[in-house]
Amino acid sequence: MSSADDNKVTLTIDGREVTVPRGMTVLEAAKSIGIEIPTFCWHPKLKPVGACRMCYVEIEKMPKLAVSCATEAMPGMVVHTDSDLVKQGRRAVLEFILLNHPLDCPTCDKGGECDLQDLTFAHGIDDSQFDFNKYRFIRDKKSTFDDYRLGPEIIRNQNRCILCYKCVRSNKEVFGEYDLGAFQRGNITEIDTGPGQQVDSIYSGNLVEICPVGALTNTDWRYNIRVWKTQKVNSICQYCADGCNLTLWKDRQKIYRATSRRNDAIDEGWICNRGRYGYQIANAEGRLTVPLIKRGERQENATWDEAIELIARRFKEIKDKKGGVCIGGLAYPGLDSASLYAFSKLFRTILNSNNVDFRIDYKMLPEEPGDLYTQITSRKFSIAGIENSDVVLVIGSNLINEHPITNLRVRKVVTQKGAKLYTLNPFATKSGDISTDEIIYRAGTVEALINGLCVSIVEQKLASDTVDASKLATRVEPNTVAQAAKISGVEADRIVGLAQALGEAKHITLITGELLSTSITRDAITAAIMNLALLCGMAENGQIGFLSKYANSKGAEKLGVMPLLSDSLIAEMKTLWGGYPEQKGLGADRMILSAKKEEIDALFVMGSDPMLCYPDGQFVREGIEKLDFLVVADLFETRTTQMADVVLPLSSIAEMSGDFVNLEGTVQHFDQAIKPLGQSMPGYDICNKIASALKEPLFESVARMQPDIMRLLLREENPEIQRELREVKTSVEQASGEYTVPLFVVDQAHHFAHLTERSKSLSAFCSEAHLELSPSMAEKLHAETGTLIRVESEVGKVILPVIISEHIDNDVAVVTRNFSANPVNDLQMRKQRVDYVRLTRVEEK
Amino acid sequence: MEKKVLFTYIDDPAQVKVETYVGHGGYTAWQKALKQMKPADVIDEVKKSGLRGRGGAGFPAGLKWSFVPKDSPKPRYLICNADESEPGTCKDRVLMEHDPHGVIEGMAIASYAIGSHLCFIYIRGEFGGPIRCMEQAVKEAYAKGYLGKNVFGTGYDLDMIVHTGGGAYICGEETALLNSLEGERGMSRIRPPFPAIEGLYACPTVVNNVETLASVPHIINNGAEWYTSMGTEKSAGTKIFSLSGHVNKPGNYELELGTPLSYLINDLGGGIKDGLKLKAVIPGGSSTPFLLPDQLDTKLDYESIAAAGSMLGSGGVIVLHEKTCIVWVIERLIHFYRHESCGKCTPCREGTGWLEQLISRIERGEGKPGDLEKIESICDNILGRTVCPLGDAAVMPIQSALKLFRDEWQYHIDNKRCLVKSEFAFA
Ligand SMILES: Cc1cc2nc3c(=O)[nH]c(=O)nc-3n(C[C@H](O)[C@H](O)[C@H](O)COP(=O)(O)O)c2cc1C
Ligand code: SF4
Ligand code: SF4
Ligand code: FES
Repeated sequence: MSSADDNKVTLTIDGREVTVPRGMTVLEAAKSIGIEIPTFCWHPKLKPVGACRMCYVEIEKMPKLAVSCATEAMPGMVVHTDSDLVKQGRRAVLEFILLNHPLDCPTCDKGGECDLQDLTFAHGIDDSQFDFNKYRFIRDKKSTFDDYRLGPEIIRNQNRCILCYKCVRSNKEVFGEYDLGAFQRGNITEIDTGPGQQVDSIYSGNLVEICPVGALTNTDWRYNIRVWKTQKVNSICQYCADGCNLTLWKDRQKIYRATSRRNDAIDEGWICNRGRYGYQIANAEGRLTVPLIKRGERQENATWDEAIELIARRFKEIKDKKGGVCIGGLAYPGLDSASLYAFSKLFRTILNSNNVDFRIDYKMLPEEPGDLYTQITSRKFSIAGIENSDVVLVIGSNLINEHPITNLRVRKVVTQKGAKLYTLNPFATKSGDISTDEIIYRAGTVEALINGLCVSIVEQKLASDTVDASKLATRVEPNTVAQAAKISGVEADRIVGLAQALGEAKHITLITGELLSTSITRDAITAAIMNLALLCGMAENGQIGFLSKYANSKGAEKLGVMPLLSDSLIAEMKTLWGGYPEQKGLGADRMILSAKKEEIDALFVMGSDPMLCYPDGQFVREGIEKLDFLVVADLFETRTTQMADVVLPLSSIAEMSGDFVNLEGTVQHFDQAIKPLGQSMPGYDICNKIASALKEPLFESVARMQPDIMRLLLREENPEIQRELREVKTSVEQASGEYTVPLFVVDQAHHFAHLTERSKSLSAFCSEAHLELSPSMAEKLHAETGTLIRVESEVGKVILPVIISEHIDNDVAVVTRNFSANPVNDLQMRKQRVDYVRLTRVEEK
Repeated sequence: MEKKVLFTYIDDPAQVKVETYVGHGGYTAWQKALKQMKPADVIDEVKKSGLRGRGGAGFPAGLKWSFVPKDSPKPRYLICNADESEPGTCKDRVLMEHDPHGVIEGMAIASYAIGSHLCFIYIRGEFGGPIRCMEQAVKEAYAKGYLGKNVFGTGYDLDMIVHTGGGAYICGEETALLNSLEGERGMSRIRPPFPAIEGLYACPTVVNNVETLASVPHIINNGAEWYTSMGTEKSAGTKIFSLSGHVNKPGNYELELGTPLSYLINDLGGGIKDGLKLKAVIPGGSSTPFLLPDQLDTKLDYESIAAAGSMLGSGGVIVLHEKTCIVWVIERLIHFYRHESCGKCTPCREGTGWLEQLISRIERGEGKPGDLEKIESICDNILGRTVCPLGDAAVMPIQSALKLFRDEWQYHIDNKRCLVKSEFAFA
């Protein structure tokens, strides 16, 4: 039987005929019909190297045993995977591998899930002809054991290594990291870091997971528990909107580790260290376990009944006296959908207030409902779909930090499929390393630059004919490439070059991140980007990803945890609830402002820490101080709980089941791993208790509420995007006086918002705020790594140690915000598009 | 018989200078190829000449060049393999030190034939002399316009980079060489893809040995017919043999292919040292099986040596006299191969280590009954089961030595010393 289809091949494996796509390996072809061939060095996401030789098969008419992982399936091949010769070959390979292997399974953390153990068992090797002493790698000469640290969380035992090279290969091929390599040659080859290097990238935990044996172990898991004593729980990562799928490994009330639960649509089996080690917050020290009530100056332990009674009484007083408009709510967008929904429902149906928001770390936001930005974020995006693009354009995002796993997909399409990456940022980032052009614009000028790109596309006659490009010149300012170049500080020929690449691209993925979403000029930038998208025909041939940040930002949007909603969403809520408050709601920024003006009296903060994260420290402090009544629910004591009248212990994500909506709009369910710690409660229970005490319960059970939630989450607005070029005027702020260095407050690579500093492993990578500077900036300040620098803005001052960046090469100050000991938001001003600072050395005495 | 083509001016110290080289008719072939021939004509001529790779495998050079895809939009690269590290082989070094422009001219013509504008010569890191010679010669060739932009006014650009290796035998294996050149660890790659399709930086690449390339200008100048008039029908031309070991006059000799081994050893090499008897010959570099004294009539060409059970390889002829303990010889070789295994594939990496342990204990007089069978079975589990031919190279001499001199091995185990009155070995 021969196949007419050129893209298919038909071959015979163990007597069974199978037809597979051309280009598939014999190993994969066998897998496709359920024939498992043993492997060590093969990995579904890495290029085959044919190193271990475990996957031998016999192919008729071929003189030697073939390695099936690296042999392409060819028409008419007759393959035997289980012949005597094949078995002999595999046994020989196993015997070779075991020659110098320590066989220390009883003390090896991999025991029970080790490929070598399993395959040795399967092949019945119980005797070796080897009668020499085994070779021993020992770093520490005092030890009998190789126990060598490759990075903050990874320990190497070279004796167990079978040299499959998967760690080194994935590190280079997938993560673009060159901190691990093979040294020496032959049978004394060892896996090690380069001189002076550490394996400390945000992807480094994957190297442990990919190791088929116990040669690489991580410090959280090793010596703590045997794998067969644990149970696996399906989970979803809570530390960014990528939504990687995780497995939590737990025994009774403790979680021991998190690993990837491969989902090819999203993570392809890789997770970043935040996802891998962030579970530790659940069992971390310092968790709040009982409610606290402020009595005098002190917060004292209280019962739930006391706390709820107090909250209900105060809320009722304020509502009765001044109306629900004087109560506001801030919810953390990393909460589960049920909690966010209950929060919104509590405010809207019980407190009669539309003052709810999840956008806790955004400066002054546009208050119009259904603004262009929100319209675009509500559209679908596909991480896997990035692979269809020949050009990826990243605007205003430190992608690797904000979305580590989306970043890997971009890397993949660029390094393996030949797509071109262009990045437009105010400072260079690691993601830009593989870009065709990494464009650095002067902080606060991005819309001018984008206008320039639009103009150039039209001038080069590359504009899509689905839009009337003739209007461009009258609608945007600047409207020449030369002016755009002048304002943005980007050379005109680079603007023209990028415009050409975009104009000629067949399929573009456009990604924007935090630098755009949190900007006070978000509307203008969005309009500029939409002009660009229309001119490049991205709506038809491409995808626009205004990536949301938190694990459930998208869910919060869909569930309406915002003050102003589209008419259709309001209508939906009215049907669900039978009513909806009349009064216009206030967003996060307005709530704090109103609190300052004493127009808002009470605030309920669920899971977020505005005192640390709101981008204007002074403003948020003044607002919160003016409140009559502050309720804060969180896992730990935070700068915000410290100011609260009532503190409620919140359960962690591991202590409940629920769902998140990732940046693509995909709803993903996670299961409960452990029981709520102490008296802590999930957010939805807290909201329900308050509602019950005030009037009536929000729901009988979460399960009963779930259909309503899903109805909102699965609602697709997909608003039609107007095919008209929009007005974009650029207003450029100038740095004033002595404060001249643009400031960027960002998440540290291993941290996310205010919770991760509680994870022991993540703290091992970084545990304090830093000031990241370009080498030349550091030199100007005579600063080295660790030098203390005074960072001052018009409104605040902090002292931070320096890190010299491997990427940044312009004069900017990048500061990390995840550490409660360093409230760097003191430097920021909510009305300022770009904050500027002055840097001086702290002179040691 | 001895025939000097590559070695015509080998004894002239001035040959390293571009002026002398040109005075001796140098760079005329390069000019002829560029100005009078199309790339396809060059490939055709080399194909017709029957020139085969001198790096070990003997693959027809013209045929290899013709595998480079004609329509690939990617750049192509030519690489001259000057990593020469096979024990017993030292011919490329002499060419580079004494006639560097011959190598450059060959590289230039081959580059033109495959459409390459950037070529590399990858020289073994320990080769201080050849590196300096090649660097100087490349500089002179640039100065004279034989390299660089618009060579001979034809519009053809050609750049040449002298790259020094990091010092590993495996880096002579062409795919490990590519990794090394790319800045990666020198480890072999699986094939396919073959370098001609996806080589350096995943672009079409041809890797040829120094001697192969140095032969090319002569073929272009004198024609394929002239070249096939030398040697045998299937092994055309001349080849340099590096004669070493127990002979009176070791050295590099250029012979017409098909010359009998005895002529090399006795007539040119002056016979066995100290008037002793011949024990065995390794004819093609350390990785080839032994020939015995009764095979001295074997002709030195690819087919005849293969028929005699060995390989022409790189032409490193190592002569052993009767006082050589074969266990000692093999112990030295396996030590080398264990040390040079790149560590990629299991059978070679682990197998060579185990073989070294077993063979050296026999050599030390600590061999155990059953060791020989163990060695044989390990060899069987390496041969043909590795990524690159280093694994095969390591076991072929062992298998040959066990077959031809089994009594000597057994004696070593039983009596804890050498059967022959060895001058070198333990005990
Ligand atoms: C372990 C090993 C080492 C090798 N070393 C060399 C070398 O040093 N020089 C060389 O030209 N070829 C060497 N080769 C052969 C090359 O892989 C390749 O076949 C050769 O360079 C091709 O050139 P040719 O066709 O001109 O012979 C080696 C092969 C192996 C397996
Ligand atoms: S450390 Fe693990 S993953 Fe790395 S080469 Fe060794 S066995 Fe393979
Ligand atoms: S045969 Fe030896 S040298 Fe070749 S790839 Fe395998 S380990 Fe490396
Ligand atoms: S799995 Fe095929 S060689 Fe390792």
